[in-house]
Amino acid sequence: MMQKHKNMGGFIVFLSLLFVSGCWSSIEIDERGFGVGVAFDIGEESQFKNSERAGFPKQDLVSVTYQFINPRPASQDNSAVREQKPYMNMTQTGDSIHQIVRQFAIENEHPVFMPHLKVVVISEELLSMLSLDQILDFHFRDNEVRLSSLVFVSSGKAYETMETKQNEEIPAFRLVEMTENRYRTTKLLSPVPLAKLLGKMHSGSSFLLQNVDSANGEAKLSGAAVINGKTNKCQGFFNEEELEGYTWLTGDIEGGVVKTFDEETDQIVIFEVDSVGNTITSTVDGNKISFDVNIESEGRLSESWINSEEPIDNESIKRIQKEIEEKVAQLITGVLEKMQKEYEVDVAGFGEHLRINHPRVWEKIKDDWDQTFRDVPITLNVTITIAEYGSMIID
Amino acid sequence: MISNPKDRISTSETVVFITSYNIAIGILTLPRVTVEEIDSPDVWITVILGALIALTSSIIIVKLSQHFLEKTFYQYCEEIVGKLIGRALSILIIIYFLTLSALEIRVLAEVTGFYLLENTPQWAMIMPMMWIGIYLLSGGVNSLARLCEIIFPITVIIFLLVLFMSFELFEINNLRPVLGLGVIPPLKGLKTTALSYTGFEALLFLIAFMKHPGKSVKVAVMATIIPLVFYLLTVIMVIGVFSIDGVVTRTWPTIDLITSYELRGLVFERFDSLLLAVWVMQIFATFIITYFGAALGFAQLVKKNIQPFIYVLLPIVYIVAMIPKDLNDVFTLGDWIGDTAIFLFGIAPLLLLIITKLKGIKYDAKT
Repeated sequence: MMQKHKNMGGFIVFLSLLFVSGCWSSIEIDERGFGVGVAFDIGEESQFKNSERAGFPKQDLVSVTYQFINPRPASQDNSAVREQKPYMNMTQTGDSIHQIVRQFAIENEHPVFMPHLKVVVISEELLSMLSLDQILDFHFRDNEVRLSSLVFVSSGKAYETMETKQNEEIPAFRLVEMTENRYRTTKLLSPVPLAKLLGKMHSGSSFLLQNVDSANGEAKLSGAAVINGKTNKCQGFFNEEELEGYTWLTGDIEGGVVKTFDEETDQIVIFEVDSVGNTITSTVDGNKISFDVNIESEGRLSESWINSEEPIDNESIKRIQKEIEEKVAQLITGVLEKMQKEYEVDVAGFGEHLRINHPRVWEKIKDDWDQTFRDVPITLNVTITIAEYGSMIID
Repeated sequence: MISNPKDRISTSETVVFITSYNIAIGILTLPRVTVEEIDSPDVWITVILGALIALTSSIIIVKLSQHFLEKTFYQYCEEIVGKLIGRALSILIIIYFLTLSALEIRVLAEVTGFYLLENTPQWAMIMPMMWIGIYLLSGGVNSLARLCEIIFPITVIIFLLVLFMSFELFEINNLRPVLGLGVIPPLKGLKTTALSYTGFEALLFLIAFMKHPGKSVKVAVMATIIPLVFYLLTVIMVIGVFSIDGVVTRTWPTIDLITSYELRGLVFERFDSLLLAVWVMQIFATFIITYFGAALGFAQLVKKNIQPFIYVLLPIVYIVAMIPKDLNDVFTLGDWIGDTAIFLFGIAPLLLLIITKLKGIKYDAKT
């Protein structure tokens, strides 16, 4: 028995040598095409389309632009090398995302390798034609795509957001880094990674996605796209001011400023947000639903153009507080108007509030909540406290 | 083999043994399968209630085993219900262990094949695992317990670490309201969560190997609480990030949770491979424990040495593992195994315990 056992061990070692070869599925790192960003547009004919041989059965439905990292040679002194951009954009057209992705393999020496994908940009045009489910299905299924990629909508061509004139920058990384500036502005949404998008897409509620604009070869985060929860398609836009109203309404603010004009002096005053507290209370009375939104914010007077001959005293601080309150209320009313009257969708989470606080009522009304929401009365109460005035003292 | 004094494991070893057996496929799929059942964020309540059910069943098994000191279920079953029924029950349990063992290794191949080794054939992943497994088994229950002892702390540290790092994406609203639609929804998922604690059935043969079998109740309690903490944290984090609407769309939600964040500026940016590494260790432990359960059963039924059975089972387990055609079949097989477990480890031990009491079989003096 013992002898037999030893032989068995030897046999296993022999077999292991044959079959357990370290890295079965290995591909060298310099043979990977690291995709870091992807842009979806309405299909345009690709450059090879005209030649007979290139044609494969497809419609020109979607154009997919991938941004690859361009590995640069080590010697940085060579001026020719320095002019080379650190990224390459490649576009393919077709009617299935995966087929398009695989098409890169016959037009590029390195097929797309997606675990390092950071950004997904979808053009508004495409998103009003196809739904998020259709466009992103491949990304949600594929094993290479990580759910940490951030999702944006572009008001113009999506591939233009993947361009920059700066030679040192990679546009996809730039977009990601810009979303981290929420502590400085109220005009940014919290970034939405694919992971968060999943729940939003399948909940049936409408939501917002950060919008990207591109002009003169530079991308800018500007406003938000309204995604209808029923269709998962783009329904419209919030401009920057409306987005500001939205972040105030939801209280989802890390920092930023509010500008208004002092009535008495007609000069600019700026309030810098330190903290925002937002409470929503709902009243359900039979079939009647109403909301009270209470917003309290504390911060500092960070800039004032009011003439120094007219010193700022406690009286005028109270007046300025009131003016800021009015300004914030005006921002919020503007966006509420747009939500309830123009787009007829609830993207600010009032439905979510009902789901949590009145679950049984929500079960009954959730299917046509957006229609109900249209006529729901919302009362607003904004309290602004100016707690300090920066390094300048007042009388 | 059982008379060998080396084959004695301590109380804490038994606890990690059962815990390692416990934590397997369920940890990756539990959030989804439970939400599918109850369709409300109250999953965590169901997880706690499931633990209570599992604990009750394991205490019944403990009480039953304590009547028969130093005997495994395969040996004492006949004393309770006679040779025929006893053997039939033993064979059923052997088949259960064998199938579960095969299922574990198949899921291991499916998950690593999808996330890590895309072009590696399944047999090339399964076979080395099985060979290493039978090598380990040739060392008996002691080496098994030692392995579990080694991988347990690694699992705890890495698992908790990667789970807590997803906290940035966590939203408490996804877990609210609590009991919004009453107590009925959480009860609907009880079967699923209770089954995720299967692992206590190892007590059927493990108590015979314990140094202090008198402490088995303590073992049962500890071996339920530790997985409870794991499961609870997992469902809370996964649902807190994905929301119940998102989680039902993911095949392996727990892995997806770890791929949902990147931490820039650290040595590692991404941690999914770390999670998979500890998970592979846990699956290996489960595979090898169930494999041992089956081999031991065969050996004790025919009253022979366990060694030849370890080798004989190898091709059988491999073939069973390869039977499901696709992932859906794999999950269906998992459901069957679960339904069998309810009968074998929930109902049968209770009946056996009642018969034992009626027959007046006394507690062994030494316990």
